[in-house]
Amino acid sequence: MADLNLYQSLVASAEGGGHHGPNFLGLMVYILLVVGVMFGLMASAKKGLNSRFFTRPITQKFEQLYLFIENLCIGIIGSHGARYIPMIMTFWLVIFISNLVALFFPTSPTADLSFNLGLALISIAYVQYEGMRANGFVGHWRHFAGPKLGPALIIINIMLFGIELVSEMMKNLSLSLRLYGNIDGGHRAADAMTQLSSDYYIPLGAFLLPIKLLTCVVQALIFSLLTCVYISLVTHHDEGHADDQHGSDELAAAH
Amino acid sequence: MLSLALGIAAAGVAIGLGLIGYSGLQGMSRQPEAIGKLQTAMLIALAFVELVFLLTVFIAPASFGGK
Repeated sequence: MADLNLYQSLVASAEGGGHHGPNFLGLMVYILLVVGVMFGLMASAKKGLNSRFFTRPITQKFEQLYLFIENLCIGIIGSHGARYIPMIMTFWLVIFISNLVALFFPTSPTADLSFNLGLALISIAYVQYEGMRANGFVGHWRHFAGPKLGPALIIINIMLFGIELVSEMMKNLSLSLRLYGNIDGGHRAADAMTQLSSDYYIPLGAFLLPIKLLTCVVQALIFSLLTCVYISLVTHHDEGHADDQHGSDELAAAH
Repeated sequence: MLSLALGIAAAGVAIGLGLIGYSGLQGMSRQPEAIGKLQTAMLIALAFVELVFLLTVFIAPASFGGK
């Protein structure tokens, strides 16, 4: 049992000896590709917006996607969830298209830990910002210290505050590691299966592509869903208490 | 040793995922009108179970020294 050094292990797996992804410039090229595809699709969808009903298929698809994200936001965050739709939809589109790139190209931005950590930092920073905007600066940070227990038990409040801070930091780690592990794990599994059958010239890894497509959708969904849940945890409002409370309690239990 | 550790972790996570799918499907078939809510909660639980295995993948090499 050597020393359990998580940080070194993470850095080693992200950049060290076993590194197989693109370098910084290569990652930028892939991100450019993703952004280009995203803006191209959306510009193409925007062309069909002027008619009374949408005749262009791509506009209809984007409408379906919008309705899906709207359901997600309203269902999880509650009645005030509509204003978070642009952010959640951006996360979904960026992650989904990045994941899709991995099916056609050797690697993808989301198969790189640094890109995922950047996404997770943006997500959690946005959650903190929204929490501070909803409850006020002091109210948001006091929320971490737990319930009021009186002056005799203030040590428990201090400990709770520390634990909650660590938990907030760990949200970054869990969001980025989940995405990275799933996408990069899919690549490695496909590579291993292709190598297994390389003597017979059968690309067995190609049979994993449908499962990888499923992973692409689910991981994009889970990232947006967890961002929604985190937002709903910090933006408690008193209006709509009756029907909102049940859903967020259930999600908090799962969290 | 490392592969054994990863295998044990994978087995546990597979049991957990199976339980989530089992109970999710059961709940959905008993109450089809709650499918949307059930799916959301199921996906969240799935994500948290999966994270356990990913953490194992990252931490196990460090604690076993890569052997």
